[in-house]
Amino acid sequence: MTGSMDLPTKGGFNFDLCKRNANLEMKGLKLPGFLKTGTTIVGLVFQDGVVLGADTRATEGPIVADKNCEKIHFMAPNIYCCGAGTAADTEAVTDMVSSQLQLHRYATGRESRVVTALTLLKSHLFKYQGHVSAALVLGGVDCTGPHLHTVYPHGSTDTLPFATMGSGSLAAMSVFESQYKEGLTREEGIQLVTAAIRGGIFNDLGSGSNVDVCVITKGKTEYLRNHELPNPRTYVSSKGYSFTKGQTEVLYTKITLLKQKVEVTEGGDAMEE
Amino acid sequence: MGDSQYSFSLTTFSPSGKLVQIEHALTAVGSGQTSLGIKASNGVVIATEKKLPSILVDETSVQKIQALTPNIGVVYSGMGPDFRVLVRKSRKQAQQYYRLYKEHIPVTQLVRETAAVMQEFTQSGGVRPFGVSLLIAGYDDNGPQLYQVDPSGSYFSWKASAMGKNVSNAKTFLEKRYTEDMELDDAIHTAILTLKEGYEGQISSNNIEIGVIRSDREFRVLSPAEIKDFLEEVE
Repeated sequence: MTGSMDLPTKGGFNFDLCKRNANLEMKGLKLPGFLKTGTTIVGLVFQDGVVLGADTRATEGPIVADKNCEKIHFMAPNIYCCGAGTAADTEAVTDMVSSQLQLHRYATGRESRVVTALTLLKSHLFKYQGHVSAALVLGGVDCTGPHLHTVYPHGSTDTLPFATMGSGSLAAMSVFESQYKEGLTREEGIQLVTAAIRGGIFNDLGSGSNVDVCVITKGKTEYLRNHELPNPRTYVSSKGYSFTKGQTEVLYTKITLLKQKVEVTEGGDAMEE
Repeated sequence: MGDSQYSFSLTTFSPSGKLVQIEHALTAVGSGQTSLGIKASNGVVIATEKKLPSILVDETSVQKIQALTPNIGVVYSGMGPDFRVLVRKSRKQAQQYYRLYKEHIPVTQLVRETAAVMQEFTQSGGVRPFGVSLLIAGYDDNGPQLYQVDPSGSYFSWKASAMGKNVSNAKTFLEKRYTEDMELDDAIHTAILTLKEGYEGQISSNNIEIGVIRSDREFRVLSPAEIKDFLEEVE
C-alpha cells in the first residue's frame, strides 16, 4: 500500500505554516503589517436632507488615544464631512477644502455645492496617489438638493443614498441594509444612523465611545455632538481612593542630594522699572 | 519741472524725494468716485457713490463694497479692476491666516498685509502701483475699526474719512458732524448726508452703496430696500 494516510479535513484555521513563519521571523524577516482605520462613519439621505454619524474613538495601534474625538468636520455651513483613516490627513484635507470653498463663496457670491467639495477632495487625493490616507463620507444640502458621497484615499468617489466607511463599516452597513428605506423622516433617519454607529461601536474594536450625529436640511444644520453616550463610566467612588502608607511594600530606598545651584543674597539693588 | 524727468520710472526717486508714480496714483484715486467711512461707538459704516457710465448698465451686476471676511468689509476710490485684484489677494491672506492660527484674522493684521502688497508694487520691476485707496471696516475683539490704505502702502486708522472726487468737502462735512459717541444708525444718516453733499444729480437707493458692520460682527452690504428706508429717514 502506497501513499500517506488521508486525514479527514478539519474546519477552522490551518496552522501548518505557523512554524515556518516563526522560523522566518527568528531569522530576521519582518512580517507585513496591517493598517486599521479604527472608525465607524455613516451617512444617509432622508426626505428633507442628509444625516451623518460617527463614533468618537481615536486609536494608536491597540491603545485608545482619544475617547471623545470629533470625526465630523465642517466644510461649509451646508456641507459636513466624516473622516476615517489617519486623523491628521482627514483634518488637514477637510480644513484645506473648507478654506477653498470659503474663497469660492466670496468669488461667486453663492452657497457652496456638495459636488464642488467632492471635486476638490478627489483631485487632491488622486494627486497624492493614496498617500493621503483619508476615507471620507461627504454630505450636504445645496440648491440642487441633498447629496451624499464617499471618497476613497486614492481619489475615487461614489454617490449613494446610504454609505458607511472605516473598520466598523461592515457592522454599520448590516444595519443600513436591513432597515434603510427611501423617504425616512428626520427621527427615523437619526435613529437608523445611531443604530448603525452603535453596531460599529460594540462590534468593532477600532470604534467605540460615543455617537456624534449631524443633520443637514435646506437652510439649517444641526451638529448633535455626543448625541448618544452608550459607554458611560459606570462606577466612580464618591469617597475617592485613598492609599494609606504601608500598603505598598518598600523594597529599596536611595536618597540623592541635589547640589545647590542658586545662591540667594540679601540686599542688593532693586530692578529698574 | 525737475521732477518730470523722474516721473516715468517707479523705482527711481525724484530730486525732491518723491516717487512721482505714487503721486500720479493718488491723482487717479482723487478723480475716482467719492467714498467714505465712519466709525461709530457700536459699529462701522462705509459708503460710496455708484455712478454707472450709462443707464443701460445693469446696476445689480456692479458691487463696489466687498466682504473680505465675515467681519471685515472694504470700499475703494479709484480703479475698479485694481480693487478686484486687491480684494482677491486679501481674501486669500485672511484664509491663510485662519488655516495657520485657527482664528479669524484681526482687522489690523489684514490691513497690514494688504498694505504690504500695495507697497510691494511700489518697489518691484515691471509693475505699477495700484490706482486705488481702500477704506477697510471691521469689528473684532478690539472693537469697531476703520482704516484707510493708500497706493503707497501707508495706512491710517480713522474715526471718519473720505476719498475720491469730493474729498475736501466731504471731510469738512464729516469733521463738523462727527461725535465720539455716535451710534451706528446716526453714522449711517451722516454718511448718506455727506454723499448727498457732493452728489451731482438725485441720490437714490440704486446709485449709492452702503456696507455696515454692527456688534454682531457680521459685515453686510445693505439692500436697495434698506437703503431706501434710511434715505427716507434722512429726508
